[in-house]
Amino acid sequence: MSAFDQFQPSRRSLLAGAAALGGSFAFGTPAVRAANGVKTLRIAGGAADGPNSTLDPALTVGSGANQARITLVYERLVTLDENFSAKPQLAESWSTNDVGDVWTFKLRPNVTFHDGAPFTAADVLFTFNRILDPALGSRAVTVLGAVDPAKIRAVDDHTVEFTLRQPVVEFPLQLTHRLASIVRQGQTTEQLKTTGIGTGPFKVERFVPGEDPGIFVRHPGYWQPGRPGVDRVEVRTIPEEAARIAALSYGQVDIVLELPLVGLQRLEKDANVKIDTTRSSRWFGLAAFSDTPPFDDVRVRQALKLAANREQLLKAVTGGRGVVANDLPVGPWQKFALQTEQRKYDIAAAKKLLADAGHPNGIDVELHTFNGTGLSELAAAYKAQAEPAGIRINIVTSPSADFWTNVWLKKPFVTTSWDATTVDDALTLSFLSDSKWNESHWYSKAYDQLIAQARLTVNEEKRAEILARAQALLRDESGTVIPFFVDTISGSRTNVKGWKRHPKLESQDFSGITIDG
Amino acid sequence: MAEVASRLSGADPVLRLVLRRILLSLVSFFVISAVIFAAVEILPGDTAQRALGREATAESVAILRNEMGLHDPAIVRYGRWLGNVVKGDLGVSMVSKRPVADTLAQPLRHTFLLGALVLAIHIPLSLFIGVSCALTRDGPLDLALSALVLVAMSVPDFVIGIFLIVVFSVELGWLPPLALIDQANSWTEALWMLVLPVLALNAAMTAYVVRQTRDSMIEVLNSDFVRVARLRGLPPVRILLSHALPSALGPAINAIALNAAWLVGGIVVVEAVFNYPGLGRLLVEGVRFHDVPIIQAIALILSGTHVALNLAADIATTLLSPKLRTQTS
Repeated sequence: MSAFDQFQPSRRSLLAGAAALGGSFAFGTPAVRAANGVKTLRIAGGAADGPNSTLDPALTVGSGANQARITLVYERLVTLDENFSAKPQLAESWSTNDVGDVWTFKLRPNVTFHDGAPFTAADVLFTFNRILDPALGSRAVTVLGAVDPAKIRAVDDHTVEFTLRQPVVEFPLQLTHRLASIVRQGQTTEQLKTTGIGTGPFKVERFVPGEDPGIFVRHPGYWQPGRPGVDRVEVRTIPEEAARIAALSYGQVDIVLELPLVGLQRLEKDANVKIDTTRSSRWFGLAAFSDTPPFDDVRVRQALKLAANREQLLKAVTGGRGVVANDLPVGPWQKFALQTEQRKYDIAAAKKLLADAGHPNGIDVELHTFNGTGLSELAAAYKAQAEPAGIRINIVTSPSADFWTNVWLKKPFVTTSWDATTVDDALTLSFLSDSKWNESHWYSKAYDQLIAQARLTVNEEKRAEILARAQALLRDESGTVIPFFVDTISGSRTNVKGWKRHPKLESQDFSGITIDG
Repeated sequence: MAEVASRLSGADPVLRLVLRRILLSLVSFFVISAVIFAAVEILPGDTAQRALGREATAESVAILRNEMGLHDPAIVRYGRWLGNVVKGDLGVSMVSKRPVADTLAQPLRHTFLLGALVLAIHIPLSLFIGVSCALTRDGPLDLALSALVLVAMSVPDFVIGIFLIVVFSVELGWLPPLALIDQANSWTEALWMLVLPVLALNAAMTAYVVRQTRDSMIEVLNSDFVRVARLRGLPPVRILLSHALPSALGPAINAIALNAAWLVGGIVVVEAVFNYPGLGRLLVEGVRFHDVPIIQAIALILSGTHVALNLAADIATTLLSPKLRTQTS
């Protein structure tokens, strides 16, 4: 088989020009589109996954369009509300024992899959057994590491009980991850990739990895009355930022999930477009290896933190769209966040710490970053601020496609960004001694112990106290400078109603959207 | 090899040219594919890591590597790919597992459509401008048009593309900024979306053909037979269309063919600017994920088209020039 079996530029078609191609040319589905009253919602994400995109929730990677597709087709037992608390979705309610290692979920009755089959405990068991099978290669094995697949039990058709390997006091929050989306039992990985069946508001009409747009149509048996509000959804990717803005402004798309932080002046003035800004737990920062000179001295790490003028960095990188952070990865508005004195820009103190650490003439370091998401702007602005303290930075910019694969976790001083959901994730994904993503090589036994203790403490007051101590330690000793949190920014046409951008890309809800006119 | 070609073709110089070129291009395909494979191989990170990105864990990378057959040495993987291609099988995408032939079908159609439209405008437009310049030689119109096409050629095509979007979509709101042709309900709407990319590519291509047409036209207009035709009292339009233009076309056709060959590569950048789902976008994604079968197949198509168009240009030149046509070696 060669490509030319599908496409034969015969002499005739060459001579007849474009018209001869008409027969083999697909313009979406004009009949559906043109039919009276069919409401189509057109969503655009940023970075293209191309051939890497999939509808298999267990194997998705985190691009905007990919995550949007998952939320159209599937639902989870539990979702996140805007304050990152657990909210029922396919589970109506849940309870745990005294310790937090046995969790029982009551499933919502009268929910049907896209193929008409009823949703039951068997689907939950199938889903979790599948994603926790190491042979699948899903990240769920890490994210849901506490779940023992052999100990998930269907108490009855609409009750499921999880017995965990160790207590997880915030277990429902772990189930809000897109990897834990519930799929119809019996589907193969091959089927899930392009034709997955879920309980979500829309079912798959056409999805081919790498071909835009993915087309999804109303699930007539959706359990929420009156939803979804549109008949059809198209999801595409527009990698160029300027192109995404132009498409929204001209009306070629209805919702743009990811807008850049700066350069939005024109859109702001556009009467047909609404810019949605949502506070989020995504932070930008710098990570330095705490076991590598000169960062192996805690005083040098503290000097790095004092050499950041946070208000200025926030303004320079995000145009002020965000809030100042205090070298802590938990959003200040989140439950359990440590409220303490804000660290300030203090060149004299930074200088003194460096001198005490044996660097009276300052230090010369390389900071690795990449272009495209604001991190290189952070590096440039920080370089200027840190210079007077004697922290002389040489910025090394690598190709964006390479950064997370070949630079991050390998170079001793990098720009980084995280978008954790739960307090536990925020404090552990990159800060425990044995974290896979311990980007600052910070190995603190005291911190590890506090986190372990917090994870076993069901009592919230006591837990808050332990987490406060852990955060204080992290703030003062870790190798990570966290100057600010960034808002998420998306845009929609003003005739799109009922849409509120959730801070997490994977937690969007498109079911309530309607389109006027 | 040249010997085989000449024995096969006998004395016909055109046939010999074609055969020799085909044999040479087969060799160059082989070299190109080896170079591409080696280049992808020495890039840091492999396909499995690229596909999993930042969220990769050692376990998931190992599983994916195994599925993709990345544990075999590079030379084995190249041999396997080459063996399949010789049998006519372009393989499957390493990332999506979809057959390469299926993956290419739609983008190829899109790119071909855009290319055909560009040429459909390019040929009459640049000939018309070239002839107009020749007729008003050194006059204000000639100077203005020549300057315009040279400026358009000197600015990179993606800059022109963005400029056109800013003016015609953002400021004036006349034309859609992106070529999302799946949204078109009819051919008219599809063509409307392609106006800007077609203009952007034409801007880059016009100057060369205009210069060639203008110069050879001026030469022909000063030649004896045109002077004789004028003295015979033929109408100027007829002199121009049936006598001067056909004689002046040779260099222009050659320039057009070379432009078409350039277009095959130039279209990649413009597709990115207008988010047009053609081969260019597929190539960019293929490179991003180190998806060797996809990159190789597109490289084969692009270089094959390039070779074919250059060959067409040479044949046209040979046929139009009596000296070359009757030459024997």
